[in-house]
Amino acid sequence: MTEMIEVNSLTKRYGNKRGINDVSFQVAEGEVFGFLGPNGAGKSTTIRLLMALLRANSGTASIAGLDVWQQSVEIKRLVGYLPGELALDPRLTGGQILEYFGHLRGGVDQAYLKQLIARLNFDPSRKSRQYSSGNKRKLGIIQAFMHRPRLLILDEPTSGLDPLHQQEFDRMLEEVRNAGCTVFLSSHILTEVEQTCNRVAIIREGQIVRVGLIEDLKDIKRHEITIIFAEPVSSEAFKGLTGVEKVDTLADGHTLHLSVQGPADAVVKAAAQYSVVSLNSHEPSLEDIFMHYYENDGQPVKEASHVVH
Amino acid sequence: MWFTSVYLKTLREARIAILGWGLGMGLLLYAVLSAYPALVETPQARASLVSLSSSFAWLAEPVAVDTPGGYATFKYGFTILIVALWPLLACSRLLRGEEERGTLDVLLSLPRGRRRVALEKLAAVWTALAGMGLIIGLLTFAGGNHVNADFGLGDSLLFGLNIVLVCGVFGSLALLISQFTQERSTAAGLTGGLLLVFIIIDMVHRIIPDTDWFSRLSPIYYYNLSKAIIPKYGVHPGALLVLLALNILLSGVALVLFERRDIGGTVAIPRWLRPPERASQPAYALPVNAWSLRSIYTRSLGMIIAPACWWTLGIAGFAAWMVVVVQQTEEKMATLYTSSPLLKGFLTKVGGGDINTNATILSALFILLPLLMMAFAVTQASRWSADEEDGLQELVLATPQSRLTVLLARFGALTTAVVIMSLLTLAATVLASTATGLKLDVGNLAAATLSIIPLGLLMAAFGYLFSGWLSTALDTGILSFLLVIWFFISFVGPELNMSDSTLRLSALYYYGTPLLHGLPLWNTLGVLAVAIVALILASARFVRKDIGR
Repeated sequence: MTEMIEVNSLTKRYGNKRGINDVSFQVAEGEVFGFLGPNGAGKSTTIRLLMALLRANSGTASIAGLDVWQQSVEIKRLVGYLPGELALDPRLTGGQILEYFGHLRGGVDQAYLKQLIARLNFDPSRKSRQYSSGNKRKLGIIQAFMHRPRLLILDEPTSGLDPLHQQEFDRMLEEVRNAGCTVFLSSHILTEVEQTCNRVAIIREGQIVRVGLIEDLKDIKRHEITIIFAEPVSSEAFKGLTGVEKVDTLADGHTLHLSVQGPADAVVKAAAQYSVVSLNSHEPSLEDIFMHYYENDGQPVKEASHVVH
Repeated sequence: MWFTSVYLKTLREARIAILGWGLGMGLLLYAVLSAYPALVETPQARASLVSLSSSFAWLAEPVAVDTPGGYATFKYGFTILIVALWPLLACSRLLRGEEERGTLDVLLSLPRGRRRVALEKLAAVWTALAGMGLIIGLLTFAGGNHVNADFGLGDSLLFGLNIVLVCGVFGSLALLISQFTQERSTAAGLTGGLLLVFIIIDMVHRIIPDTDWFSRLSPIYYYNLSKAIIPKYGVHPGALLVLLALNILLSGVALVLFERRDIGGTVAIPRWLRPPERASQPAYALPVNAWSLRSIYTRSLGMIIAPACWWTLGIAGFAAWMVVVVQQTEEKMATLYTSSPLLKGFLTKVGGGDINTNATILSALFILLPLLMMAFAVTQASRWSADEEDGLQELVLATPQSRLTVLLARFGALTTAVVIMSLLTLAATVLASTATGLKLDVGNLAAATLSIIPLGLLMAAFGYLFSGWLSTALDTGILSFLLVIWFFISFVGPELNMSDSTLRLSALYYYGTPLLHGLPLWNTLGVLAVAIVALILASARFVRKDIGR
């Protein structure tokens, strides 16, 4: 499979403030790639570098083999882009904005455009300043999809959309993926990425901390196991077992709560030596994995909202 | 300290304006007062000054113009109202601007009532205006002191107070109008239009006898009733009270309406005044081939049309009106011109020659044309910068359009507008001269109206260049400062006998006197070359810079 996006050691600094540092990843053609990170982590900076809105201090990035800075015009023929913060001309109606960008793209299929409008239940007759944030988002999504791009770069696309339209958006994403379109989607909503993406990269404080398949990320998951015993059991019996990170005894003394990294075999075998009333295990969501990467000494990393991203 | 209250925060935003406008207008008065002794060196010169001023009574009432205070009051009659532009802009964005940005929602989520928030903001504008008035008053006093004028500090401060009150009226009017408009720019535009209308209404009673009753409808009329730095005239307490009452009334109504309306909405206007509502059918609401949406150039042209129409009305209207006025006062002016060597010298410096009286006087007045065109260019350069700052370029640059195309298409639209505006100005002046029978060299008239094009483009190119590094506020501030400085050098410089090398620092210098001497080809080409270089540098910067908010 050929690479649609290739980023190598990309660095962007804002004076003394952090941007992104030495970011590298690849996105294959036809893939739906999730880009996760909290506010200020560098998601939008990376995307804006890909869109040639920012110029990198060092490193390279290419889309479909074309350099994002040198050949940005050619690249933009292939790309549909939805910015994180959508600014629309307040003097134009939604329809006028769509027509304008349609012309700038050399024309779009009007039937497909009307279909998109209908699917998102968007009213294009109103001035853009009158739109709610959800409607502005719909407009942004429509203009990103309307020319059937080979690559969609979407910065937090469902932010502000109601659940009904989020579902419709997911269906639209699935359709374009089936049609062979590549999608690069940034988000801090993990369930969204979990549901729609093949692979994911996690960015933290301007640096990529993990790239992998959704399943691969789940391989490093921790099991949260709750065991209720017939009699009080000392937590010491479980501490030090392979994979056990944490053991808590609840107030009644009968219940243990364990965090286990990797296989739970040792814990199950140790529990079997006692009379077990119930054993409950649940897999961590991507949310938990995400938090794992964003915790420093048990404290969530502070938001760097002052950093332009 | 500045962030402890809404009042202080708003005042903080006005601190540069207080100094800029206050010092700018104050220094202008200081310069005018300083130049006064040179204008009345001989009894003949004094008589000429009095005669000349009476010919321009329609512009401002000439009272004791042979005294420093009288001369300054006459010379800057309504011109001083340029300072009204600040409260007009500040008050139109005071509430509506915050609503447009969505910041008022956050502000009103604080445990403070709407009335208090609005009052604190208004109080800050008034404090800023008072600061400007104080600086203008102090500099007027300093200027008067410099030439041993017969007015004191109290008179100067009252002069400043009169300016503050009339400017406050237009600020309050903008605040009121902004309760009925969705955009602050609409409120500012409407108030600016009313300012011009009120200036003209005030002029009527000086041109047509027995029309005082009509001019009383204008706040400018009450402003002109007080002439604090003319000791025998003094202030008119009743007029000051009328202005104060207008301020309270307009602001009060605006605040009451603000308290009662939706945030982000407007005051409901009667059904018969509302535009017809269109039924929306999503599938059919897509526009079909609107001409202005076909390219960046046409879109830019579409954006510029409305302001360009208003500015054309002002520029072409002014030029045509000047032709009519000069023709109407021809005989009187000819007598004055030949009888006063000093006046001849004064007009020759600005007007540029003595080939014929009408053309020389008209030439002196026509130097305002490039100034107006440059002011228009400043507004458009500022809009370019603001669009990037507001993030409006982001989606445009996400389409397969190069950055250079985006910049040049926008500049191209501005160039088109400037050229059309100049051609319409030429047409208006030719029509006016034909209609009035004023004989003017058509070639020179074409040179005078069309050579404002390079100057407009120069200003715009500078604006585009500065926006490569600076925020919109700084960009606009620097361009406005340049315009004021150039205006000062070109209009006051000759009176102050500034050296030729100093006068050359003003771009307006290179406009020359085309009405008398034809197109100054090399100067025009020089200005055009500088504009092209600035545009090339602006393009080089824009294609490499980070696009950000």
